[in-house]
Amino acid sequence: MKDIEHLLRVAAIFLVAIALFVAVRSVVKPESYGKLGRYRAAALDEIKALPVRYAGQQECGPCHKTQAREKAGSSHRGISCESCHGALAAHAAAPKTAKALKPEESSMRGFCLRCHEAAVSKPAKFPTVEGGKHNPDMACSMCHKPHSPKI
Amino acid sequence: MRELPRRDFLKLTASALLTAAAAAAAAPVAWAEKFYREPPWRRKKPYWGFCVDIEKCIGCGRCVDACKTENDVPREPFYVRTWVERYIIRKDNEIKIDSPNGGMDGYPPVENPETVAKSFFVPKLCNLCENSPCVQVCPVGATFKTEDGVVLIDRKYCIGCRYCIQACPYGTRYFHPILQVADKCSVCYHRLRRGKVTACVEACPTGARMVGDLSDPQSNVSKFRENNKVQTLKANMGTEPKLVYKGLDKEVR
Repeated sequence: MKDIEHLLRVAAIFLVAIALFVAVRSVVKPESYGKLGRYRAAALDEIKALPVRYAGQQECGPCHKTQAREKAGSSHRGISCESCHGALAAHAAAPKTAKALKPEESSMRGFCLRCHEAAVSKPAKFPTVEGGKHNPDMACSMCHKPHSPKI
Repeated sequence: MRELPRRDFLKLTASALLTAAAAAAAAPVAWAEKFYREPPWRRKKPYWGFCVDIEKCIGCGRCVDACKTENDVPREPFYVRTWVERYIIRKDNEIKIDSPNGGMDGYPPVENPETVAKSFFVPKLCNLCENSPCVQVCPVGATFKTEDGVVLIDRKYCIGCRYCIQACPYGTRYFHPILQVADKCSVCYHRLRRGKVTACVEACPTGARMVGDLSDPQSNVSKFRENNKVQTLKANMGTEPKLVYKGLDKEVR
């Protein structure tokens, strides 16, 4: 017995340490931790529940039929409504109270030229104009209707 | 303590080795299942992937703005989850990369455009690494890869140690100044799970960005990867991103 006394002492220390670890772990560990992996599974539900701001293209068409039809036949057909009109999930949920953003005629030039200003960095195929030379005093919408820009 | 005779010791060792060998002989199937060779989207549905067509990006910055609106990314001080870099490569091989405000408010005109050999825009976002360095370094398991392949952050569990921010080879993470946790592109996980595309894809006017399910061979991303020559960023790091680029120049880092 005397030969192994020192071993027993070490074993006792280990046992106490393990018991302490298990006890602390059972208190601290979040409930859903480890259910799906080494993370808190409940975090997934929290992330899934985050609010949506952009309604998505499919939401606009049912109400705005004319504009949708007009756009579908134009070179702007690939552009989602919310790309120009801003985030509209609130508007889709309550169309009467939350109004959609409509680019003003006065600021429209800058708005259009954000995409269509000529620059060396843009893809060669993309239609651009030099804003400073292309009828600089006129609003783009005087000639080009945003939903079907081709004259 | 009793001494162990040599004969007994050898017997014991031999039997242990035999048992181990027998177990190893029976095990290869089990091990093969553990170390898959095929990509994970052959096994799991859905599995999200992202594609960027550099040849279509016009640097309008709508994606940056949309991402900020959708995900409440702080505008003041300015942080981004996705941003667009402009590369200007001159004929004398001088390379300039800029991204003022992440490209959200456009770019200043290029000086001396006649000396430019080539110039293009590169949208950046979470690379959806299969082997994510950020997940590996998190000391508390607050950042993780979901079953469908998206790397996310548990905001309640993050202790704000910023280790993941310096671990990301693509620099896509930042420290959220209000929530005091690490934050990153979640590929709009809350939208994907509602059947919507990400805010940046929604806002992109040229279709330069696309998100979709890699496990479906008919999906937009699967078709894009099949029909185009695509490349990932920093492939040498072994992170195996599920974000691929078409038309990536060698100078892009």
